[in-house]
Amino acid sequence: MLVYALVAGLLFGLYFSLVGIGLNLVFGVMRIVNLAHGDFLMLGAFIAVGVSALAALDPLFAVPLAFVVFVLVGLVLYRLLVPRLQGSVNPEMLSIILFFGLSQVIEALTTIAFGTSERSIPSSELGAILAPLRVRLFGDADGPVELFGQTFPATWAISAMVSVIAIGLVYVYLYRTRLGTLTRAVMSRRDEAFATGINVDRVSAAAFGIGLGLAAVAGVFAPFMFGSVTPAFGEDATVTSFAVVVLGSLGNPLGTALGGVVYGISYMLVQTYLSSWADLLPYVLLILILLLRPSGLLGRRVRVA
Amino acid sequence: MPSTLRHLLFIVAPLLIVFAILPGVYENHLMLFNFVVFLILAQGVNVIYGFTGYLPFGYVGFFGGGAYGFAMMVMHAHAPAPLALIVAGVAAVLLGLLLTPLLRLSGAYFAIANLAASLAVLHFVANPALEDITRGPYGVSLTATFNPNAAYWAALLVLALTLGVVVFLKNSRFGLALQAVREDPVSAAMAGVSVVRMRVVAWLASALIAGLAGGVYAWYVSVFFPDNVFSGTFSIFAIVFALFGGVATIIGPIVGVLILYGVYNLIGFTTPQYFQLIYGLLIMGLVLFLPAGLVSLATRRGWHVP
Amino acid sequence: MSPEPTPILQADGLVKRFGGFYALGGLTFHVAPGEILGLVGPNGSGKTTAINVISGLYAPDGGRVTFEGRSIGGLASHRLVHLGINRTFQVPKPFLSLTVRQNIEVALAYGRSASAPPSIESLLQEYRLAEVADRPAQDLNNVQQKTLDLVRALATGPRLLLLDELAAGLNPTELDWIASRIRSLAQAGMAIIVVEHLMGFIEQITDRVIVMNAGKEIFEGTLAVAVKVPEVIEVFLGGEHAA
Repeated sequence: MLVYALVAGLLFGLYFSLVGIGLNLVFGVMRIVNLAHGDFLMLGAFIAVGVSALAALDPLFAVPLAFVVFVLVGLVLYRLLVPRLQGSVNPEMLSIILFFGLSQVIEALTTIAFGTSERSIPSSELGAILAPLRVRLFGDADGPVELFGQTFPATWAISAMVSVIAIGLVYVYLYRTRLGTLTRAVMSRRDEAFATGINVDRVSAAAFGIGLGLAAVAGVFAPFMFGSVTPAFGEDATVTSFAVVVLGSLGNPLGTALGGVVYGISYMLVQTYLSSWADLLPYVLLILILLLRPSGLLGRRVRVA
Repeated sequence: MPSTLRHLLFIVAPLLIVFAILPGVYENHLMLFNFVVFLILAQGVNVIYGFTGYLPFGYVGFFGGGAYGFAMMVMHAHAPAPLALIVAGVAAVLLGLLLTPLLRLSGAYFAIANLAASLAVLHFVANPALEDITRGPYGVSLTATFNPNAAYWAALLVLALTLGVVVFLKNSRFGLALQAVREDPVSAAMAGVSVVRMRVVAWLASALIAGLAGGVYAWYVSVFFPDNVFSGTFSIFAIVFALFGGVATIIGPIVGVLILYGVYNLIGFTTPQYFQLIYGLLIMGLVLFLPAGLVSLATRRGWHVP
Repeated sequence: MSPEPTPILQADGLVKRFGGFYALGGLTFHVAPGEILGLVGPNGSGKTTAINVISGLYAPDGGRVTFEGRSIGGLASHRLVHLGINRTFQVPKPFLSLTVRQNIEVALAYGRSASAPPSIESLLQEYRLAEVADRPAQDLNNVQQKTLDLVRALATGPRLLLLDELAAGLNPTELDWIASRIRSLAQAGMAIIVVEHLMGFIEQITDRVIVMNAGKEIFEGTLAVAVKVPEVIEVFLGGEHAA
């Protein structure tokens, strides 16, 4: 039972890392709280449902599609919303409200278009394209995966694998590309980045697009990890993302990978041994972590050089 | 005439009188009651967000806490409604005290932690393991105190109290000092203001307001589930109403509730998703084009808005 | 020279660490009522940190600060304000959405000044803010915001005033004016500590200077003598203020 909880927690945790990483990238670079993050996840899930139901393709094909579509959506939304927001008196606070409004718009439009019924995808469809590989590795094309003597749904393993790859690519972007290096510079010292002539706007737009793209990619796997999705799924996903992101330290995207794993494992442990209190976990964890890393009673204390 | 008296006479009194008369001439009492509840909550948000800058994304935690404080007094202590209402307020203040460490957080961190706190309280109250105490997810039924009429008058009383608090903040040095803390805590401390104490007082006052609102709500509806009284809609509506009108004023939140909740009642019930769409677009437009609320249309022209 | 009066503020071996970095490494100095003391030194020598510790923004990690004979290390800022210490900020942060008058009202109401503080009208007149008294502070220009920051401090009736780079960004006329204001405050008995990069301004108003380097005092005396001390010259030539 313990081994099961630990491994399942690890698989879920890797997936949770992907769920949160886009949110953290956006906050880290722009100090914008994207309360619509979960809604982009939800839209990613609907793309997967569409790819599976309309095109009868492996939902894995939805991954590149969702990413490209939402990077573009992100770039457009950035132009429409962010410059005006940054010009206001208190962008961080107002961003919470602005993106809450956006989440309402997305949820409403999705409801108007698709109704409120629960959408799911047969789990055998995910990774169908990998069947030959799986026959070679595990001896069958579908059915559960065996790890450390325990069996898990194959969809969990595939989601975790894709998450690892996606996080690896984020790492490559941040540490091996020029734009990524600039992104890290903006994250660590936003004020100074302006002064040093970095095109903060371009860096921010890219981060915003990639952030939404990653959310949508995470969304592709949501129907498998959570059973089904509805347009209202976004709200829960946002809170979970926050728990993951705060655990791994806000403003540090790669910390999110750690946060996700810690979150996933503790979630599974509580689920296994103390199931009636499992719902409380993300919230209590979130508050404790926030309080144990205090920014001081006076907020940002250091205001003088 | 001192401005306090002017505000009480020309803003607070007319509003209370209108809502005292309306039940006699308009039959949808539930809707009137909801208007009063949202007026209270929007002003409660005004106290904490408008005057101190803390965005209470989980404000409903105090509301739900108050509702359950009321319910438990009635269920377990067989208390009369007025006593249970006082306990509702006390319960919310205690919850506020428990959450004072959150005031250490600034900006978005506070908003998120507060949201998480309200959800934690919801999942705590709704836990089946606590069925003997809170009835868990199965909800409560308070037939002993059922009296919507009395509850409506109690709600008006709470509204009067709340408006009194806001008028005081708007006209006192205490309110001025709170706003100074909101603008810059370091400079405020250097003006001699005890930053921590001011914040805690405002926080507990806004908790008390929401707790009393939750109490009268429980009294009025008498049957409810955790998901009803801890619904995030209360927080969001209260925040948006207050912002839409303009915070740190007396009339801003009132105008916001009357207009937006009015719109909600016109189109909200029949086609909720279309209301949600309009509402979402309205929020976005508000932040982008009118971040200081409707009252800023007047203040921009140099007019003074109470 | 008249015999030195009892110091109002005495710092002994003041230490402030940030992680492993010693911003103050045992700073010792004093200032007397009616005296204007200059704190000078290259960037990063700990001048502003010293002011932040004395005004309660940071608690000291070692050493002692006494104000009027009472140990004040680690007291919260608002308590220090009530005792009679106040300061201005390098980058002033007035209460932007409040009017200039309201900005001052807060300090008058909460400063708990021991002496009767000056009236709001006289402050507005004396510091040339009367015309903008009813405008929100966000409408003020930088110099006016700095003046408002000073008035906010004065409204609490301090006996010790710390001025952090008050002169930066002022034109020569404004400099002369502010220098005369500071001198008249000192003549009325206020102890004043000035942190400043403009040496001309320091020379114009201070009675005495402390030269700081790496969180410690390396010289104490008049500026005229200081500029002839080899150690001081080396610190400044090595720093960015060589010119």
